[in-house]
Amino acid sequence: MSHCFHCGLPNTEGQKYPVEINGETQYMCCPGCYAVSQAIVDNGLADYYKFRTEPAAKGDEMLDETMVKLAIYDKPEVQEEFVFDVQQHKQIQLTVEGITCAACGWLIEKQMAKVAGVKRIAVNVSTRRALVDFAPGETKLSHILSTFQRIGYRASPFQQDKHEDIFKREQKSFLKKVGLAGIMTMQVMMLMMGLYFDLFGNIETETRQYFYWISLVLTTPVVLYSGSVFYLSAFKAISAKSVNMDVPVTIAIFGTYIAGIKATFLEVGEVYFESICMFIFFLLLSRSLEHRARHKAALYSSNMLQYIPVSASLVEQDNVTTVLAKQLRPGQLVLIKAGETIPVDGRVIEGNSEVNEAMLNGEFEPASKAPGNRVFGGTVNLSGTITVKVTRSLKDAMVNQIVRMQETAMATKPKIAQIADQLSRYFVTAVLIISALTFSYWTWQGNADAFWITISVLVATCPCALGLATPSALTCAMAKLNNSGVILKRADAIEQITHIDTLVLDKTGTLTEGRFSITKQWCKSDIETEVVMNIAASLEMRSEHPIAAAFTTSMPLKVENYTTTIGGGIAGDINGNHYKMGSERFIGQSARDKIEAISAQELDKATVWLSRDDEIIAIFWLSDTLKADIDATLQRIPVAQKVLLSGDTQPNVEDVATSLRLDDCLAKQSPQDKLDYVASSQVAGKHIMMLGDGVNDAPVLAKADISVAVGNATDLAKSSADVVLLNENITALPQLFSLADRAKLTIKQNILWALGYNLLVLPFAVSGVLEPWMAALGMSLSSVIVVMNSTRLLR
Amino acid sequence: MTIIYVLIPIAVIIVAIAVAVFFWAVKSNQFEDLDRQGYSILFDDDLPPEEKALAEQRKKDLESRSE
Repeated sequence: MSHCFHCGLPNTEGQKYPVEINGETQYMCCPGCYAVSQAIVDNGLADYYKFRTEPAAKGDEMLDETMVKLAIYDKPEVQEEFVFDVQQHKQIQLTVEGITCAACGWLIEKQMAKVAGVKRIAVNVSTRRALVDFAPGETKLSHILSTFQRIGYRASPFQQDKHEDIFKREQKSFLKKVGLAGIMTMQVMMLMMGLYFDLFGNIETETRQYFYWISLVLTTPVVLYSGSVFYLSAFKAISAKSVNMDVPVTIAIFGTYIAGIKATFLEVGEVYFESICMFIFFLLLSRSLEHRARHKAALYSSNMLQYIPVSASLVEQDNVTTVLAKQLRPGQLVLIKAGETIPVDGRVIEGNSEVNEAMLNGEFEPASKAPGNRVFGGTVNLSGTITVKVTRSLKDAMVNQIVRMQETAMATKPKIAQIADQLSRYFVTAVLIISALTFSYWTWQGNADAFWITISVLVATCPCALGLATPSALTCAMAKLNNSGVILKRADAIEQITHIDTLVLDKTGTLTEGRFSITKQWCKSDIETEVVMNIAASLEMRSEHPIAAAFTTSMPLKVENYTTTIGGGIAGDINGNHYKMGSERFIGQSARDKIEAISAQELDKATVWLSRDDEIIAIFWLSDTLKADIDATLQRIPVAQKVLLSGDTQPNVEDVATSLRLDDCLAKQSPQDKLDYVASSQVAGKHIMMLGDGVNDAPVLAKADISVAVGNATDLAKSSADVVLLNENITALPQLFSLADRAKLTIKQNILWALGYNLLVLPFAVSGVLEPWMAALGMSLSSVIVVMNSTRLLR
Repeated sequence: MTIIYVLIPIAVIIVAIAVAVFFWAVKSNQFEDLDRQGYSILFDDDLPPEEKALAEQRKKDLESRSE
């Protein structure tokens, strides 16, 4: 079977959509892909196809309709939320769906550069975002968005949240500080190395003094700028009447620096500028690595998309106008066509349809809606056109209530006290007291080196290794998990995982595939199974119903007189025969008695019936199947209790619970019920890990001690989870547990070593045997050993 | 050895320039997306069309020869 050249999906249309690319004719699978690749070639950007490493996203078949809707983005009310003034231009941040590899970034930038009025465009492939500067006089925002659409990407305005903004600024300042410290350390080290090798005293005093001056000049920006992180943190701790690791660090840095300045000016005594630079560089490096790991994880899920469409079709006295969804008021009428997202909560006035409410309750089976039924904003209208009377404005819509519930749950999440932080506080206090005692003792003894001995004590006992003990182990564990498709959004989640005793699971989409597949089928004896499957798939190909996805074929047949009956089924002619496919009622019960091979009980459970000229030729049993290996995976997870919470009906939930040997199950659970269950278990002293995927799981994911979102989860679920699995399967979960145990062990070893080393070296430092440079070297070596121990987790 | 009195200050000035360039690079988001820039070299879109055709031709010749 051939594949679409553009998107890589199976091409069932043969040679219907040819495009000439780089001198060869390639075939596309649909008008959408055809339009996109033609646009790419016409603009002279065919190189994209040469260098892409992944196939593109499927083109939009209803391109023209989508384009019309983009006009709403030109309204000033919409723009005020997203568009910012930068000098004389306007700037907008967009999330771009459909970026699959680096070539996409190039393609977008080239294409957008041709649009008049676009002043600057920067595409970030790893975060899938674009930053566009444009001149509002020369082009319109809708035109920019439609250019994206034309080459196959869906761009939507996007506002990065405050956290991310802060994160980004910190990241940049860390990068600058580390870079500066690194460059300067090299220079100072180079000068000092010369002096180190001066074994015979051949260097003249003048030259030595000159080197000191240069080193002082080079060290000053490192101390004043790069090291400022530590002083600020130390100052904050002291003003909160507490101490942290940065307090002795600050004292040591400033002590050595000021003494160095004094020695340089008075031309007597020792200088240790290279030690200061190295000390700051190493400390800063470990801090920035930790920060970077956290930042990356946070970025992963922050591309929160809009669940609610921006626009809606308002019906007023037989006139249909496009308005902003947020302007809709209760009582107004809204027209919703098939395939559109419902903009607000309301009640159906006219029309019948099926609505996919998966984003609210996690169930993929569509709910049928008739006049009088309630519909919710954010759900997708699948089959018919309906008119809806608005009952609640956007601000109070169901989906926004869930988002609010998630936010409050996040704020009340149980926190763990960080062991290393507490430990280091006592440690730091002890170090400060010991240094003070050492200084007073040696001064009282009249030792001229009292100051340098004290600095040695501070540097040698610098809890740098202790500070690295936890973050380095956690960072390594995170990197290892990343490789196996597990993203950790909070590093300290690893420590919590070792305490987990209860696993709470969601059913649809988490344990099961979240889509129908054929579990059993029956065919009339005189027809081959393949023929029947081909007919069934050809009929279902045009249906939006989730059942249709279970039927696939590589050689579809031509269907004529195709009709759909909402809540019933589909019908059409193939090769002169009339076929009907759908529920038993739709087909007509007449033929039921003729099938003797199957018991009546079994027949009651059958989902889809297929008839040819009013004779039943096939029956299919479809259900949502469990994901592969789920049973074995669950058995390998070391928790005391496993509980299933689902919005589905009792029999379905019990079925899954028994087949997976779960300890408990609760059916018909609303988001609030799930939240209450987890909250009450937490009050009873249980530590809960929640596994989920839907929007309805978001609040409970935010509340659980540890929450895991599976690969196919909605953005909202991912944003409230601590752990995101990249894969749809949960096979990586046992590894998460085992690695968490190993990481905890490594942390303990690291802390033991760091404390052991510091205690061991303390007598030497206090007694004055250890010189400051030895102390700095020992401190660095101790840190290196801790980091090496942590990297064992990577193996 | 008097030359070091000249050379080292020059080195310091060069380092200062390097730091300034680095700071500018960080500030103008050069370190934002490290995955992508490696590919930029592959796109020879800076070539004029006739040269591009020539490159294509050479590649084809090479391919046909190796066959």
